[in-house]
Amino acid sequence: MAYLSTIDFFEDKNFLDRWKRNLKGDLDLSWMQAKTEKIAVTPENPRRGLTFRDLDKGTYGFTNQPEFERRNRSFAPRGAELPEGLPDVQAEVSQKGEVWAYNTEGYYEEAMTRQWNATLDVPWHDLAKTELPDEISRAYAQLLTFLTEVEMIATDVPAEWMGKLNNNFTEVKNFMATQVMDEARHAEVFRKRALTTGYGLMKASPQNEISLKQIRDADSFAEMSLSLHLIGEGFVLTLFRFSEYISPTEADKKMFRLVMQDEARHVGYGVQHLKWVMRHFPEKREVIHKHLEEAENMLFGGGNALEVTEPFIILAGKGLKKENIEQGAKITAMFQLKQMEEYFERLDKCGLGERRKTSKLHRAMELTRASLQEAGVIA
Amino acid sequence: MTLDAKLSTYMAYYLEKDFFEDVDMFNLVSKVMQGDLTLRWYNADTEHVRLFPKDRERGLTYEDCNVGSYGYDHMPELIRNNYSMAPRGSELWGKLPDLGYTVNRKSEVWSDNVVALYEEAKTRRWAPAVDVAWDDLTKTPLPPNLEAAMAQLCTFLQECATVVMSVSSRWIYSINQEFLELKSYLCAQILDQARHIEVFRKRALLGGQGLKRASVTAEQALKEILGAETYIEASLGGNLMLGSFLLSVYRQIAAVAPSLAERKLFSLVTQDAARLVGYGSGHVRYYIAHLPQQEVKLHSYLDTAEHCLLGILGSEEYLEPLIILAGGGTTPAEVKTGSSRVVRFLSQTVAAYLERCERAGLQGRAQRSRLPQYLQRIIHSQ
Repeated sequence: MAYLSTIDFFEDKNFLDRWKRNLKGDLDLSWMQAKTEKIAVTPENPRRGLTFRDLDKGTYGFTNQPEFERRNRSFAPRGAELPEGLPDVQAEVSQKGEVWAYNTEGYYEEAMTRQWNATLDVPWHDLAKTELPDEISRAYAQLLTFLTEVEMIATDVPAEWMGKLNNNFTEVKNFMATQVMDEARHAEVFRKRALTTGYGLMKASPQNEISLKQIRDADSFAEMSLSLHLIGEGFVLTLFRFSEYISPTEADKKMFRLVMQDEARHVGYGVQHLKWVMRHFPEKREVIHKHLEEAENMLFGGGNALEVTEPFIILAGKGLKKENIEQGAKITAMFQLKQMEEYFERLDKCGLGERRKTSKLHRAMELTRASLQEAGVIA
Repeated sequence: MTLDAKLSTYMAYYLEKDFFEDVDMFNLVSKVMQGDLTLRWYNADTEHVRLFPKDRERGLTYEDCNVGSYGYDHMPELIRNNYSMAPRGSELWGKLPDLGYTVNRKSEVWSDNVVALYEEAKTRRWAPAVDVAWDDLTKTPLPPNLEAAMAQLCTFLQECATVVMSVSSRWIYSINQEFLELKSYLCAQILDQARHIEVFRKRALLGGQGLKRASVTAEQALKEILGAETYIEASLGGNLMLGSFLLSVYRQIAAVAPSLAERKLFSLVTQDAARLVGYGSGHVRYYIAHLPQQEVKLHSYLDTAEHCLLGILGSEEYLEPLIILAGGGTTPAEVKTGSSRVVRFLSQTVAAYLERCERAGLQGRAQRSRLPQYLQRIIHSQ
C-alpha cells in the first residue's frame, strides 16, 4: 500500500480508551472552542441562493487567501483549525496564482445551475424521424466522431489536475469538477448523436490525437490551462458555433447551443486565469510565449486534420457536388479564420497582444485572410 | 529571463513535428480547400447503426446505445488495441498515440449497474446554492451547542468528501477510454462530491460558528484509503467501505436533523451516497465474479484497511458532535440519550458495511473482520 496511517487503530489503546469514554458520556468537547473565525453569512440575493461569493469572508474567503498555501497540506477545508498530526497529502500546486481566475466562483455556480442531461434534453425521438441525405449523414457522423474524440481528453486532464491542487483551492477544484462532468456529457451527446445518424462512428483522427496529446502531458497547471482552456476549448467553442450554423436540423442546433454554454465557461475560466497571471506575475510573460509556441503548433496540427476539415466542407456546402464543395470550402476557410481571430482577441484581452508579431499561427491567419480576400469571399 | 522562468519552459511532450513547417500537410490542405477532397473517411470500416430511444420518456440512454461494436456488453476483457482517444467502435487507423493507460481490464473497473447509475446521477442533479432552504435555516437558528455540533460535523464531512472525490479523480486518467460509461459515471461521482464539499461548507458557515477542527485520526485513515495501489482496492476502500459509512451517517443525520431544511439537505446527499455505494458494491461483485481467484487478495486488503473505518468511526471530531445532535444537547441526560443512539448507529453502520461485502461476494467477511469484535468490546464496556 502506498500510505499507511501513522496509527493502527485496532492496536491503539489510547484511541480505544477515548472512544469508550466518549460513549459513556465523557465528552472532551475541545473542538467546540476551535480557534476559527466566527462570521455572519447570508444569501445576498435570495433568488441566487447561498453562493460561494456570499462565503467570501475573512479566513474562509478566497479574496484574502495567501499567494502561497504553506500551512494546510491536508484534506482540511480552508479556514478550519489545523491540529498537529494532520497528514501531508503532497499537493503539487500550492500557489494561488497558478490556478486562480477572476470569477472562478461565478463560473462554478453557473455550472451547477446549468447542468443539463444529454439523455433527455435533446429531442432524440424527433431526430429518429429525420431523414438526411446520405452524404450529409456521413459527413455529420464523421464530425461527431471527431468531437467525441476531442472531448475525451478534456475529461481526463482536469480530473488528473484536481488531485494535484492544494485543498485550500476549494472553488477552483469544484469548478474543475463541473468541467469534468461537462466534458463527459459532451462525449456522451456527440457519441449518441453519431449513433443516431445511420452511420455510427466513423474514423479516428491520428493527426488530431497526436496534437491533443500535448494537453494530456502538460507538466504544469499553467501550461495545461493555456493549452486546454484557452486554446483547445477556445477553438472548439468557435467550432461549436459554426457547427450550430451548419447543423442539419433544429434538434442539432439545440444540442450545439447546450454544449456551447458549457464550453464558454471553460474558455472564460482560461481567459480569466491568464489575465490573473499576467496582472500578478508579469515576469511570466516570456514563459507563456514559449508555451504558446508549442500549443499553437498543436492547434494548427489538430485544426487541419482532414477528419474535421472535409466533413465540415460538405456540411457547410450542404452536399458533395462541385458547387457545394466550393461554397463549403469558403465557409470553412471563414470559420478557420474566425477561430484564429478569436484566439488572438482572447490573448489581447489578457494583455498578450504582442503575440501577433511572433506567432506562426498569426502568419497562417494572415495568409488565410489574404486568400479569402483574393477569392472575393471577404472584403 | 530569470532562472525560474527558464526552468519552467520545460515541457513533457513535444509534438512529432512542427506542423507550421509541414509542407506535405500544407499542400494536402490546400488541395482540399480548393475542392479536391480525399474523402478517406467516407467509407469508414465501422458498423452502421441508427439508434433511437426505446422509451421516449427516458430519452436516449447509454443502454439504448449498447449495440454491437459500440456496446459495452461485447467489450473484450482485455483492451489491447486502443490506447488512444478514439471512441469505442470508431475505425482505428494510422499512428494513433499511446496515452499510457494502466487500467485496461474490464473486470478491474466494471459494474453491471454503472450505466443506470450514470443516468440516475444526471437526472437527480441538484444545486446546493438553490436547492437547500438557506433562508429557513437563517430564520430558525439552532441553540449554540447544537449549532457547534453541526458545524463540526460539516467540517468533518468535507474532509471525507474531499477524499471520495480524489479517489475518482486520481484514477480516471489511468483508465482506458474504452470504458466510457464507467468513466462518465466517475465524472458524475466527482461532481457529486464537489457538491457535498460545497453544501457542507455552506451549512457550517451559515450557522455563524464557522468551521471547526480538522480531524487527525480521520485524516490519517482517509489518506490510507486514498493511497490504495490498485483501482479495485481504491474502489473497495473509497466507494464501498467509506461510501457505506457516509451513507449511514447521512441517513442518521437526516433522521435526527434539527430542522426540515437540514433533513432535506441530508436526504439529498444520501441519494448521491447511495449511488457511490451502489457502484462500489457492483464493482466488487463484478470483479469477484470474473476473477474469483482474486477474492483472497481483497480480503487481505480489507484485513489491513478496515482499521481506517475504525479510525473514522471513532474520531472525536465525528463521534462527539453526533452524540450531541442525536441526544439534542449537552446536558448529561441528553448526552446519555445521544450515546446510546450512537452505539446503535455504530453497530448498524458496521453491520451494513459487512453485509454489503458479503453480498458483493466477499464471503465470510463478517467472520473474518475484526470490526464487530472491536465494537463489542466498546459496547460492553458501557
